[in-house]
Amino acid sequence: MKTIFFTGKGGVGKSTIASAVAWQLAGSGKKVLAVSFDPAHNLGDIFGVQLSDRKKRFEDTLYLEEVDLNKASERYIRENIALLEDVYSYLKPFNMERYFQVLKYSPGIEEYASLTAMEELIRGEKEFDYLIFDTPPTGLTLRILALPYVTLSWIERLKRIRSSILEKRYTIHNINGHFSEKGVKLAYNEDEDMVMKKLKSIEERFIELQKFLKSENNSIVVVFNPDFLSLRESERLIDSLDELGMPIRAAIDNKYEESLSELAEEIEGKLLGGKGKNHEIELLRVSKQGRTGEATYELDENLASIFL
Amino acid sequence: MLEIVKRVFEIIKNFFSVMDRAHRSRVTELTAYEERELENIFVLLLLGSLAGIPSPPAFIAVELFPYMEHELKVLEARSKEASDALSELAGLLDMD
Repeated sequence: MKTIFFTGKGGVGKSTIASAVAWQLAGSGKKVLAVSFDPAHNLGDIFGVQLSDRKKRFEDTLYLEEVDLNKASERYIRENIALLEDVYSYLKPFNMERYFQVLKYSPGIEEYASLTAMEELIRGEKEFDYLIFDTPPTGLTLRILALPYVTLSWIERLKRIRSSILEKRYTIHNINGHFSEKGVKLAYNEDEDMVMKKLKSIEERFIELQKFLKSENNSIVVVFNPDFLSLRESERLIDSLDELGMPIRAAIDNKYEESLSELAEEIEGKLLGGKGKNHEIELLRVSKQGRTGEATYELDENLASIFL
Repeated sequence: MLEIVKRVFEIIKNFFSVMDRAHRSRVTELTAYEERELENIFVLLLLGSLAGIPSPPAFIAVELFPYMEHELKVLEARSKEASDALSELAGLLDMD
C-alpha cells in the first residue's frame, strides 16, 4: 500500500488535484481510498456526493471518506476519561466528562487526533493500493507531520528521567528490602512500571509511524499556484518538510495559464531550481480549469503516472 | 525460666532489627530524597504548561495520567514544601 499526501496553501487546489489523482489511479485499475482531513471538507462537493467518516464506494475501485476531526478528538478524549475513571475511582463523583471536554481545545489535541486517524487508516486499510490524503492548510499539516518527531524527542527525555527514578527505587529496595511509601508498593523494575511501559508503547507506535512516513511507500506532493504569495508559503513548506525528512515527490503548479507562463517559470525556478537539494522533486503543470463543480476531477493532464 | 529467656531474646532481636532498619533508612535517605525530586521533575515536565514551562504534546500527559497517582501526590507535597526546600536539605545533610 502506498500513501500520497497533498499539501499546500489554502485555496491552491489541493482537493481538486487529490481528487484528480485518485480518479486517475482508480481508472488505471488501482484500488484507491481518498480521505479528506481538511476541516473545511470539499472532497464530497468535488465528486458531488454526501460523505461521512465512513468510507463510501464511489466507483468500482474508488472509495471516499471525510474524517470528522471534532468527532475524532472527542472519541480520543472519551476513551481516556474511561481509563482515568477506572484508575482514579474516587474521581467518579465529580463530573470528569465535563472537565475533560475542555481538553478538546487544548493545543495539540486536534493534530494528535488527525495523526491517530491517519495511523488507523494506514494500519487498517491495507487492502487498498493507494491511500490519498487531502490535508488541511500548511500550518496544521506541518504540525501533524512533525508530531512523531516532536513526540519521540520528548519520550526519549522522559524515559531517561523515568529510568533514573527506577534505578534509585531499585537501590533503595536493595538496601531496605522493600520500596514503599505510606503503604503503597511502587514498581522499581522497568517491566513492571506502568509509566515506563506506556512510554515505551507510545515510542514504539511513533517509531513505526515515522518509519512509514519517511519510507518509499509514502509521497508528499506540494501543490502551488503561479503567484508570489503561494511561492513564499510553498518554499517554507518544502524547507520544513525537508527538515522533517519527509519524501517530497512532486510539486504541482496548479491553475497554470499560457498568458502567465513567464511568471510561472520564474516561480517554478525559484521553488525548485535555486537550492540544488530539490532536484529530485518532479514538476507538473495543471492548467486553469474553466469548469467548476463535479467535473473538476476529470483533468486532461496525466498526474497518476508518477505514482504508479 | 524458659519464658523469660525467650522474651529477652525477642527484645534483643527486636532491638537489632530496629537498629538495622534505622541504619538502612539513614543510608537510603539521600537517595530517597533524590528519587522524590526526580518524580517531582518528571510530573512537572508533563504538566509544564501549568507552570509556564515548555511541555510535551498534551496527549502524552493524558495517556500517562492514569498511572501517575503517586507522582501527583509527590508534586502536591513538594509544592507545599517548596518555600522551605533549603531547610529540608540542611536537615537531610545534618547541618545546624
